[in-house]
Amino acid sequence: MLEQIKQWIEHRRGGKIGSHDTGNLPNPKTPGEQLLTDCRLIVLDLETTGLNAAKDEVIAIGAVAIRGGIIHLGDQFDLILRRPELDIRETVLIHGIGPEALTQGHEIEDALLYLLEWMNGDPILAYHSAFDQKFLEKTLKAQLGYTQPHTWMDVADLMPAFFPNTKTGGKGLDNWADYFGLEVSERHHAASDALATAELTLIALNKARTEGVKTLKGLYDKLHYHRRLQNMHRY
Amino acid sequence: MASANQENDRPQNIRAIMTFLREHAPFSSMDDSHLAHFAENASIQFYADGDVVLSPDHDVVKRFYVVKQGRIRGERHNDKEDRTETTFEISQGECFPLAAMIGERPTRTLHRASGDTFCLSIGQAAFVTLFSESEPFRDFCLRGVSSLLDQVNRRIQSNAMASMGSSTSLDTPLERYALRNPIVCSPDLPVRKAVARMHENNVGSIIITDENRIPTGIFTLRDLRTMIAEGTGPLDTPIQQVMTKDPCCLPSHADAFEAAMLMAEHHFAHLCVIDDDHKLIGVVSERDLFSLQRVDLVNLARTIGTATHLRTLVSLRTDVSRLVDAMLAHGADSGQVVKIITTLNDVTVRRVLELNIKKNDPGIPFTWLTFGSEGRQEQTLLTDQDNGILFETPEGMTEDQVREKLLPFARKVNDELAECGFTLCKGNIMASNPKLCLSDREWDDWFIRFIDASTPQNLVYSSIFLDMRAIYGPTEPLDALLDKVLARIRKNALFQKMLAGNAFQRKPPLTMFRNFRYLSEEGNKHSLDLKRQGLAPFVEAVRVFALANGVETANTLERMDELAKKGIFDPKDANAWQEAYSLIQAIRMRAHQEMLAKGEELTNYIDPDDLNPLDRRILRESFRQAQRLQQKLEVTYQL
Repeated sequence: MLEQIKQWIEHRRGGKIGSHDTGNLPNPKTPGEQLLTDCRLIVLDLETTGLNAAKDEVIAIGAVAIRGGIIHLGDQFDLILRRPELDIRETVLIHGIGPEALTQGHEIEDALLYLLEWMNGDPILAYHSAFDQKFLEKTLKAQLGYTQPHTWMDVADLMPAFFPNTKTGGKGLDNWADYFGLEVSERHHAASDALATAELTLIALNKARTEGVKTLKGLYDKLHYHRRLQNMHRY
Repeated sequence: MASANQENDRPQNIRAIMTFLREHAPFSSMDDSHLAHFAENASIQFYADGDVVLSPDHDVVKRFYVVKQGRIRGERHNDKEDRTETTFEISQGECFPLAAMIGERPTRTLHRASGDTFCLSIGQAAFVTLFSESEPFRDFCLRGVSSLLDQVNRRIQSNAMASMGSSTSLDTPLERYALRNPIVCSPDLPVRKAVARMHENNVGSIIITDENRIPTGIFTLRDLRTMIAEGTGPLDTPIQQVMTKDPCCLPSHADAFEAAMLMAEHHFAHLCVIDDDHKLIGVVSERDLFSLQRVDLVNLARTIGTATHLRTLVSLRTDVSRLVDAMLAHGADSGQVVKIITTLNDVTVRRVLELNIKKNDPGIPFTWLTFGSEGRQEQTLLTDQDNGILFETPEGMTEDQVREKLLPFARKVNDELAECGFTLCKGNIMASNPKLCLSDREWDDWFIRFIDASTPQNLVYSSIFLDMRAIYGPTEPLDALLDKVLARIRKNALFQKMLAGNAFQRKPPLTMFRNFRYLSEEGNKHSLDLKRQGLAPFVEAVRVFALANGVETANTLERMDELAKKGIFDPKDANAWQEAYSLIQAIRMRAHQEMLAKGEELTNYIDPDDLNPLDRRILRESFRQAQRLQQKLEVTYQL
């Protein structure tokens, strides 16, 4: 997988990757009795031109896969999209992706098709996933007309669900990463943030195992229960 | 440019893993392409505190791990004592398991996460690729941590070597140096003919052998000079009458270091090299050993040993320091170097005594004792005097009368030794102290009180008086005294326990989180005392075991050898402890050499932040070995 991505970048930077079976894209899986010890989870992070999903655009996609509770670095996704037309003045200082990188980025339709194939319909986890979900779904629909809903889970909920009452000093990715002493190699780099989020996910999955949560559905339910509790407290 | 591009083309997470690996040995010496191969094939796994990572109950080990964050501890069950022991700790950047991975077998030690831990790991295929393609990686896997120790030693050597410009190693087996087919003759050959044979062959010595080619004597140009100068006989005297009988011999597998030490001790310039049947194989001369060196040990020892004035001795001290540089450069390890320093110190002390006896003989035979680090033969350049006198009271004299004669003499010797660089002992543990200039009977009483009425103050002195050696005068009185002392300690379980309790107070400078525990002294914050905090825990604990088990030698490394032989220490443990002890000593000596080069006053303090990561890691591991040794003390004496 990684070899393939490398080959693109080296030989066909921005070029078309070739044959995608657009009529036969993978169907998203629903959380059922799949065992956490052998299912595959996608942990994803997007860099965008801003926070408003109505007008801002995706410019970089980073993702790693967790299989059987293990992150396999050979199974990851790290691409900048080719969108030279976008205005990045507001956010260039955050993600460090400048106009030149966007010019040399990967051809967008090809990259998205490849992402769908690579994700293979597996559940997607992200930190504050509502943000990434909105942007990704909007982009998939606009570029490919793809509207099938993936299963999304929010790691920002997953952590307090398994580690309630933890004094992290805040709800952000940095708070939890600091709490567990994680080193984030390059904050606000999509792939690097995805890896940090995935490492937090490993910690949560380890805790899930000790609490007897064995299946994807169990994990999903735990998350929803936590959400409802939060909402009840709010009102 | 091409490589820079390649670097940028690697995904961010791969680059990050490579950056992480590069900070740690052996990865720090590996090529980027190999590091990339590692990173691209790596998995990241999380273990919560207490989770089992590898177990002897698992199958054959199929993955090779590096701790990315956190710690892994090795646990082994001690059946004898029915408890679980932590046998090692693996921290950030360190790898496991080596032996099981190479041996394609299950691990023998339970590996358990200690705190929240992330590990990187690669599978067998990637491991095999790296193993076959990367030499530093292969070297590390095959020789484990000891290959890292080699790196440290190599660096110590190369630093010292910079001023030496030579590459011979003292570990070289003697046979490589030895002159094959040495010039030999039979015992009845006249001196004239023997000298002619030496002249023809342009050598400085001839070995006299019997009919079985076993060396019986040696005759050198120096002997010829003495013979002619003193007129001991005509040149047709059979050589056996003027040769030096029973020449010093070493087996061919002995190394250059042993030869140099033997020569320095006896002031010989030649040694016979023999095989297992004692037959002569070759001759090694001092010049063979040190032909490439500017400083030479034997010559220095001889110059010290024959100096006629105190000021010569004083000036020779700088040569001793230069020699230490040279020895480090030639691959002597710290154990060897402290012995060299001790040997040269012994020669100096002996010479000071001889010169004083010549000038002003107190007229009473005595044994000059040395205590503490010199007693243990573990002196470095930073040393003070710990000495005493043992005498046998002559008929018709009282002990106080003897002291009246010996004390002024001892005072002079102490002062002169101070001029030679042996700092006066602040605690007045010196031969000129009337309490330490005693007859054999008084010493015996002294030790009875010391052992039977042990007070906390006494115990402080145990590190001094229980490591004792004679360096001048007859040794028999001391041997007799030591026999009695050892027998008494062996019988006195309470004293042993108090000694053990005292040794246990000397905690290695590690916090429970395995960080360095710094001194809390004013002016030395953020530093470690390598002697008091690093070496003392080993020295003190080993002394307890040695005394309790009748080990007579005072040297810490030799004591450990003996304890392993007696089955008190597990040989593997003894080895690890010896290695750890030697490394702390090596780091201390290197610091001394650096201070000396900068003209600073010598201290035992270092700031671990000044060390490179490899040294820091090894120092930390060495301290942890001290903790293990103390655990053994704790269990043995139920402290």
